[in-house]
Amino acid sequence: MRAATQLTAAGRAVTVRIGINQVRFTAVNAVGLVTLLSGIMSFLVISQATRELGRIGATDLIGTLIVVAIVRELGPLITALVVAGRSGTAIAAELATNQVLGEVRALEGMGIDPKQYLVLPRFAGSLISMFTLLVVFDLVAVLAGYGATSLNGMSGTRYFDIILASLSYKDVWLTVLKALAFGFIVGVVPSYFGLAVRRAPTEIPIAASRAVVSAIVGIFLCSALFVALG
Amino acid sequence: MTVAAAPLRFEQVPLGRASHSFTLEIPAHHTVAVLGDEDSGLGALGSYALGLDRPPAGRALTFETDVAALPEPARLAFRRRVGYLPAGEGLLQNLSLRDNIALPLRFGSGASPREIDGRVNVMLAAVRLAGAGQLRPAQANDEERRRAALARAIAFDPSLLVLEQPFDGLTARVASELLELARGGESAEGARRTIFITGQEIPPLLLRRVERVYRLTRAGALETETV
Repeated sequence: MRAATQLTAAGRAVTVRIGINQVRFTAVNAVGLVTLLSGIMSFLVISQATRELGRIGATDLIGTLIVVAIVRELGPLITALVVAGRSGTAIAAELATNQVLGEVRALEGMGIDPKQYLVLPRFAGSLISMFTLLVVFDLVAVLAGYGATSLNGMSGTRYFDIILASLSYKDVWLTVLKALAFGFIVGVVPSYFGLAVRRAPTEIPIAASRAVVSAIVGIFLCSALFVALG
Repeated sequence: MTVAAAPLRFEQVPLGRASHSFTLEIPAHHTVAVLGDEDSGLGALGSYALGLDRPPAGRALTFETDVAALPEPARLAFRRRVGYLPAGEGLLQNLSLRDNIALPLRFGSGASPREIDGRVNVMLAAVRLAGAGQLRPAQANDEERRRAALARAIAFDPSLLVLEQPFDGLTARVASELLELARGGESAEGARRTIFITGQEIPPLLLRRVERVYRLTRAGALETETV
């Protein structure tokens, strides 16, 4: 945050441009994958659930299933795993390459803070991307759930009534908080491992691998913490 | 008459695995070169001058300031007073040569984008890169990269320049041209800028434009070479 406030107007413009590129790569280019994963998972889960719950006359529980299991828990988790896998590796490898090629040192030598130029836009891009992709994931999950329930004879009006009845403000802010927390992890952890590389090119794949593993562990721990606190 | 303080001074600084330490003063308006083997630890001198690293003993004073001892924001701001051409150029591979030159101005000056563009156009013309500004470093040749790195180093028109291996792989003619650009013209006292060069060798043609040449011995002592 402090790094952002210390930027000159022209420096801010450069940082914003890099951030937009990061969002393009992390969010826009991942929309297809997230849509596919969300659509298939939601369709499969809700199809099975509608049939099984229909037998015992408890189809109203589909709302809870979608809101709690998919929108609140699996949505942020799967989206974060996609972002960590795609962009976490890229961020770590890119920053490690910057380090190995002596670019980070050259930036410092010119009086440019590498945190401002390299980390800040990727961090902001990860936060925005994670949030955006989570919205996409949840929307697609709800729509795929609608497809699954209508194939099993449930009307659209009833389906959306059940969903809205199950959705609380707590679910919304918990999901938003998770998006921000996971975006923070995906932005910071790979940057740390990328910049921790010294001079050897052989360190780059190791840094990328460590970054993704650490980010995934961090995401799961954070998710568990949300469940424990929530 | 007052004697101006040396813009750069190393006091009792040891290098590499050497047993000796040395003291060296770079007088204002002088071009001084320190030459030595690749494994002599010579490459660290530029880092010490800019406060990128701290010498294991002794100290490096740039404009009478121990840069490494400054808090981080002040350290970054201070470095804008010194032009730096690192070994291997340190150009950012994902930026064009033009954007590489503009980068320090964008982050370190309050100038508007229009002013920065104008300044970069002047710099590109001065280093004869007007037609190559849009190339990425990987698309440019050694000479173009070195010219761009020098343009970036003098973007703020600093009075002190630290150049690491600036002439490696260049012809004597190009090296001579770059040295003239680095000196920034002449003043009554000598070159307009003070220049500190480290490297393994310096083309003989350039020696008449270098006031002092030192060679670092294996023991870490400095020997003056006859210019």
